[in-house]
Amino acid sequence: MNIRIALAGNPNSGKTTLFNALTGSNQYTGNWPGVTVEKKEGKLKGYGKGETTVTVVDLPGIYSLSPYTLEEVVSRKYLLEEKPEAIVNIVDGTNLERNLYLTTQLKETGIPMVTAVNMMDLVRKNKEELNLAQMEKDLGCPVVEISALKEEGIDRLIETAVSVAKKAEPSHRLVFDEKLESVISAIEKKLGGLLPQNNPDWYAIKVFERDEKVVEQLCLTASLKQEIDAYISSVEKEYDDDSESIITSARYHQIETMIHDCYVKRNRQSDSISDRIDRVVTNRILALPIFALVMFLVYYVSVTTVGSILTDFVNDTLFGEWILPSASAALESIGCAEWLNGLVVEGIIGGVGAVLGFVPQIFVLYLFLAVLEDCGYMARIAFIMDRIFRRFGLSGKSFIPMLIGTGCGVPAIMASRTIEQDRDRRMTIMTTTFIPCSAKLPIIALIAGALFDGAAWVAPSAYFTGIVAIVTSGIILKKTRLFAGDPSPFVMELPDYHIPSVKNVFHSVWERGSSFVKKAGTIILLSTIIVWFMQAFGFENGVFTMVEDMNNSILAMAGNCIAWIFTPLGWGDWKAAAAAVTGLVAKENVVGTFGVLYGFGEVAEDGMELWGTLSSEFTAFSGFSFLVFNLLCAPCFAAMGAIAREMNSAMWFWIAIGYQTLLAYACSLCIYQVGTWITTGVFTLGTVIAGIAIIGFIYLLIRPERKVA
Amino acid sequence: MPLTFTAAGKTVKIVKVKGKDDTVRFLQNLGFVEGEPVAVISENAGGLIVRIKDGRVAISKEMACRILVA
Repeated sequence: MNIRIALAGNPNSGKTTLFNALTGSNQYTGNWPGVTVEKKEGKLKGYGKGETTVTVVDLPGIYSLSPYTLEEVVSRKYLLEEKPEAIVNIVDGTNLERNLYLTTQLKETGIPMVTAVNMMDLVRKNKEELNLAQMEKDLGCPVVEISALKEEGIDRLIETAVSVAKKAEPSHRLVFDEKLESVISAIEKKLGGLLPQNNPDWYAIKVFERDEKVVEQLCLTASLKQEIDAYISSVEKEYDDDSESIITSARYHQIETMIHDCYVKRNRQSDSISDRIDRVVTNRILALPIFALVMFLVYYVSVTTVGSILTDFVNDTLFGEWILPSASAALESIGCAEWLNGLVVEGIIGGVGAVLGFVPQIFVLYLFLAVLEDCGYMARIAFIMDRIFRRFGLSGKSFIPMLIGTGCGVPAIMASRTIEQDRDRRMTIMTTTFIPCSAKLPIIALIAGALFDGAAWVAPSAYFTGIVAIVTSGIILKKTRLFAGDPSPFVMELPDYHIPSVKNVFHSVWERGSSFVKKAGTIILLSTIIVWFMQAFGFENGVFTMVEDMNNSILAMAGNCIAWIFTPLGWGDWKAAAAAVTGLVAKENVVGTFGVLYGFGEVAEDGMELWGTLSSEFTAFSGFSFLVFNLLCAPCFAAMGAIAREMNSAMWFWIAIGYQTLLAYACSLCIYQVGTWITTGVFTLGTVIAGIAIIGFIYLLIRPERKVA
Repeated sequence: MPLTFTAAGKTVKIVKVKGKDDTVRFLQNLGFVEGEPVAVISENAGGLIVRIKDGRVAISKEMACRILVA
């Protein structure tokens, strides 16, 4: 038989850490509420095979069973609809009262339950005492103390959870005071046989709370609904409070009694280290400068200094001097066919190597992101940025996806689930990929090196372009009917700061960095091979053959079919068009394709004299226009897939992709046309269209806001 | 008076959370309920950081205006 055990608890209470300890897997953890946005399953250690198998399900953190954000819906749905055999309710021992609030609700579901009090090492360090036996008695379910991080008490928890699941005794809810109990039984009486017999109390309480989903599920007749509504209103009048608050207070009251029974709390220092740090980093005056400094350091170090030193080494020395010549020589010496030599050296090493060269930069970037996420600053960033983002119609919580998006767009788009309001969330999904992800770094480096002499301003300008695109999109979109309205007020729990754990940081760097390498070895490898064949073969003198002139190749034919679209942007050459299109598969492909078409030395910054061919086909403005287009246009297929999943609507998916591509096209057009006009004085129809686009853009920016009724 | 009037470092008691919407319910789930002591840790131009139960919560000014304290 298979037993499913769900891990449920407050955000940031250590569910994923426990999940990793229970299953021996390596799911990603972080120190901010909302790291886990999708449920994850794994086999319990020691119960993978055999008679009884146990699946552990890690759920996104929830504060209650009345969901507020999308990821909370995932958890509620799983618990109520899938009905796992048991719940392990993980409770943060350093914040018992608030955490037990969810416990009281989980008990109402009737699913057999174990409560795991986590972070007991910290509780003991604070010299606080918890009487587990008393707590078990009060809660009416087994209580196990653990430390998920230090893997203490895990075996006992496993044992208890499995035995609770096997016994399958439904859990019972805690009892309210007499008055409220009579209200609940009155509702039950009114609803009579309509309530599911296995757990009528839960439904009755939810009906009293006016939980829309449950009321809908029960399919009440209009008259019955009216009767119940009237009854609830009369109770509300009596209590002088709304029904939801009545239940909330009653729950907290239960908890207070319980805590009083079993918990000896020490008067904690009112001023913890985290509070003192917060006073500085969220300070009215210092917050933004500190934030700017942190961001500057992260990207300056990873993109410009340490990262590029390592990347230069990989490109110039490792690939340029060692691998490439020796591979070529080796293939020649064994008498390999010329085309195969070409495929391996130009196609595979040229294409994939150009991408792999960026691995060090990307690892350094991920290292910084992991430290930021693990130390607790992430949640503060959201808080600090809220004030500013609100002006552009976004919530501060939109900033977390954007920061993650500098690594990869896919988790960034998923991270948008923590945003409460649909329209803010949709807007974040639409705009978050404007921030250059790590796969776009090679494109930036390519353009900077080939066309701007490696100028230091190019990389920052790419991030700046992304930020401006987000801000202006926010302003423009908020003024349309689709997005009108204010973002919901900011409320977010701030975790304690802690020194990032070396294990967590390295694990997350490895996990994300290695997927970049894997991608280079699979999708990019395949793409470059295809690109190589397409540029090597074609029709010459009416026969299909290996071409002398690349301009006769299949790739050139295909590229020429779409190149006209990009002519107004200044790069109507088939090579650039083909590169941009292969970029849809994965953004690194843009560089990989150039690597195949121009040779490895071109794209790997392998010395000035080699930049010749690429720079002769671009001007400064067409090059920058190419860069901006690739930064802003529809992201790679993986990210588009994420957008489709998160939007969960074909219409919204196309709105997002369409908007991104349109914006990219318009921006590139303006850069190239206006730039060319100013520098060369050439005035064409394109310049007029660019002018109209700019005026239109300004109008959309400054037009008065729509009033929402 | 609204929570926004509380100086940093002071602890006050919640009298009522005004309004009836999802955000209010969310605040209640976080522990912002009648009679609960709440301490203001720090404030910046955008909002407040407060301690409620044993958690630390950041809320924007407009939300803090709806929390009445005494």
